[in-house]
Amino acid sequence: MNKMAKGAIATGVGVILLVGGGGTLATWNQASNVSMGEVVSGDLNLEPGAGVWTNAAGTEIPVISQYKVVPGDALTYTQPLNVSLKGDLMAAKLTVALPDSYAQYAEYGTVSATTLTKAGSAEVLPEILKPANAGKVNASTTFTFNVDTPDRIGTNASADLGEISYKLEQQAPASTLQP
Amino acid sequence: MKSTRALKATGLVLIAVVLGLLTVQGSYALWNKAAIAAAGTIQAADFRISLTDTITSVVTDMTLADGTAATLSLSTTPAGVVIPGQSTYAGVELGNETNAGGLFTVRASTSTPVVDNNAGSPLAPYLTLKVVAANSLPQCSSAALYEDASETAETDIPKQDTGVFCFQVSLADNMPASLSGQSATVAIPITVNQL
Repeated sequence: MNKMAKGAIATGVGVILLVGGGGTLATWNQASNVSMGEVVSGDLNLEPGAGVWTNAAGTEIPVISQYKVVPGDALTYTQPLNVSLKGDLMAAKLTVALPDSYAQYAEYGTVSATTLTKAGSAEVLPEILKPANAGKVNASTTFTFNVDTPDRIGTNASADLGEISYKLEQQAPASTLQP
Repeated sequence: MKSTRALKATGLVLIAVVLGLLTVQGSYALWNKAAIAAAGTIQAADFRISLTDTITSVVTDMTLADGTAATLSLSTTPAGVVIPGQSTYAGVELGNETNAGGLFTVRASTSTPVVDNNAGSPLAPYLTLKVVAANSLPQCSSAALYEDASETAETDIPKQDTGVFCFQVSLADNMPASLSGQSATVAIPITVNQL
């Protein structure tokens, strides 16, 4: 064993001994655990109830297919919707899509835009809904039989209004839209 | 050489990650929920007016199956010939037979009567006609009903209800005796409009 090897071994033994001393090499330190808490997600949901038809006099129509509409009558379809919106930054837009088949009834009548109101009141809801607007909502669409329909045009005619679709879409929180 | 390979590998991994993110776009979508409602079928009502002769009780629809207007020949009372200075009476009952689901009141109106001479008859100028709305057909033969009547009348008829028009045809008392036995035709157009 040459002198270099002996020196290296001696140095290694010395270092090991120092390490064995533990704390003598460390500076002050302390560790602790911090609880970040739970992250709870919000909710967005849309549950339709049973739609109701009413005529121009406000009388409820139990079975729409058995009701006979006349020029000047206005039939309103009110769809109750249970809107759930939870989240501190939750915002959502409720849109209504009428089927394309509505266009073919332009000869006899007009179909209004759908209005959204808070159930039990006449309060019209804003375009963008917040959790404060959640709850029971009514979406109303009115079909008006043209009052100027002449002669006997359209008597005994029928109009299948098909399916109305309602969609509740979350709107991105403003902070996530910033560049 | 080694560093070049490492760079290539890193680039490939990055491209794969980007492609993966683009492929699963759904992961960027926000919450949404859709619901469908079947609005059903709207059925238009019928617009049907019935006409009933006072005396014979013959009933016809105001609009025939082919869409044309019906003509109802009315009987008169008293039956037979009319003596100058006297009157004969007729009436028609209009029924609002609609099957409308809501309110459906109509207004029936008569236009000015058209009196035409029959072939070779100059009788028409000696005929006068009065029309009045009444509550029931038996009233039509009462002369008092026509005291304030004119040549036209109108009446409103609610859904599933009836209205009556009474007619009085009088022969002028100055009619020349030479016209005895002549005849004329009286036509009274009736129009019904939805209110």
